[in-house]
Amino acid sequence: MEKQKDYKNYSLGRIIKTGWVSFRRNSFLSFGATGVMALALLVFSSLIVFNFFTNRLISFLDEKVDVSVYFQGEAKEDQILKIKSDLESLSSVERVVYVSREQALEDFKVRHKDDQLIQDSLAELESNPLQASLNVKAIDTGQYASITNFLEQNSLKTVIDKISFYENEGAIERVRGFSRGLYGWGLLATIALGLVAVLVTFNTIRLTIYNKKEEIEIMKLVGASNWHIRGPFLVEGGLYGLFAAVLALAIFYPGIYFVSDKLGALASSLNLFSYFVGYSLQMILVIVGSGLALGVFSSFSAIRRHLKI
Amino acid sequence: MIHFKKVTKKYNHDFWALHGVDLEIKDGEFVSLVGPSGAGKSTLIKMLIKEDRPTSGQILLDNVDLADVPDQDIPFLRRKIGMIFQDFRLLESKTAFENVAFALEVSGVPEESIAEDVKQVLTIVGLSDKQKNFPRELSGGEKQRLALARALVHRPKIILADEPTGNLDLVNSYDVVKLLWRINELGTTVILATHDVQIVNTVGKRVVTMEKGKVVRDQLEGGKYII
Repeated sequence: MEKQKDYKNYSLGRIIKTGWVSFRRNSFLSFGATGVMALALLVFSSLIVFNFFTNRLISFLDEKVDVSVYFQGEAKEDQILKIKSDLESLSSVERVVYVSREQALEDFKVRHKDDQLIQDSLAELESNPLQASLNVKAIDTGQYASITNFLEQNSLKTVIDKISFYENEGAIERVRGFSRGLYGWGLLATIALGLVAVLVTFNTIRLTIYNKKEEIEIMKLVGASNWHIRGPFLVEGGLYGLFAAVLALAIFYPGIYFVSDKLGALASSLNLFSYFVGYSLQMILVIVGSGLALGVFSSFSAIRRHLKI
Repeated sequence: MIHFKKVTKKYNHDFWALHGVDLEIKDGEFVSLVGPSGAGKSTLIKMLIKEDRPTSGQILLDNVDLADVPDQDIPFLRRKIGMIFQDFRLLESKTAFENVAFALEVSGVPEESIAEDVKQVLTIVGLSDKQKNFPRELSGGEKQRLALARALVHRPKIILADEPTGNLDLVNSYDVVKLLWRINELGTTVILATHDVQIVNTVGKRVVTMEKGKVVRDQLEGGKYII
């Protein structure tokens, strides 16, 4: 079939304009689709914040976890250093710090230099009451059990007085469990709302297609290209997504500012607001991208089902 | 050239809308397609613009089998064939000018040439002074002429008119047919599907009569509507 020239450049502008006009004229319908989609995007943003927050909290707590191995008074330095080098050979160990009895005493003195009573008591003592210790930091918090296990199997086990590491483990597990649970629910809510948004947008586009039945019929009749018939509906769907993203971001940033203020009192090192302002470009891209994807996908499905060419 | 070869169309298992139609229409012909309602005239016309497909048989347009025209090329086919209908099919929210311009816009024609082309066809159909009027402000005859202007704006090789005078009085019907006549004289093939006896007899050109999905009579010259 001989084809006429198809002027693509002229088409794109017209298609976008037609989509925009339809979006504006459908303002009442558009409002519903945009609102639901904005809600879905907002829950999605909250999920991002929540994920970031719990990750920060876990790594903060992780940082506080280590294993301290205390040695008995008669333990020789070369025995301790042997255990240190044994530990260092483990792939799960990040670093091992040796604190000798003297060093421990020095540290203790420095820590309590303003406490005259302690200083006086120390001066009374003839021998150093403190123990030598090895401070072990694992690469991953899950590996402390195996490190402890390793120490308990060591041939020099007899010089070890006690091993302590349990302090934060429970807290970390609780945070992990809690965040996993909440994240799961958040993800479920995002998916459910996303689905509702897709359905509402799908329905809105379907109604628009139905309202324009006559126009579509005439377009086909006069030889409109398929792109000209379908394009405006895709543009309209994309516009719902775009406006929903703008709306969601307009609520998100003031919201995060407010929450950040409250959380600041809890963990001063964590400034959510400045973090998300720092990453605003990425945040905008993710939210606008998700909005556009939701809108265009819904529209595309509606066209496939209800707009036969 | 249009060539229908043993074309059949079956709807709902046992209803034959077309029953082995063989018909050849040469370039530049004026053909009146007549017959009672349900004879298969509209089905035949729909197949030419690929709005409907035959159950069996072949339809050739300029030696191209329409079955071989892929879906994405259907718009190009439809720009070669202008159509008008009994119910005009105009967009009520657009002016006369915009209704015609719309056909060019959705085909991606540049803005500059649209205005000129639209004015030209509106002059041909005698509506140059009604450019800014909405369809509701036009008479039936004017609406059909506007629809004809829209059909002409792509400069088609063929005009298909499906009962174009069905909603018009005699005077307006005659005006529309005169226009089709003129368009035909300028070289465009015209296929006029109608059951209006007076109109067919006035035209007096080739008359193809259909009944129950078959061509029952083909009068090549000076045809009359014989009931």
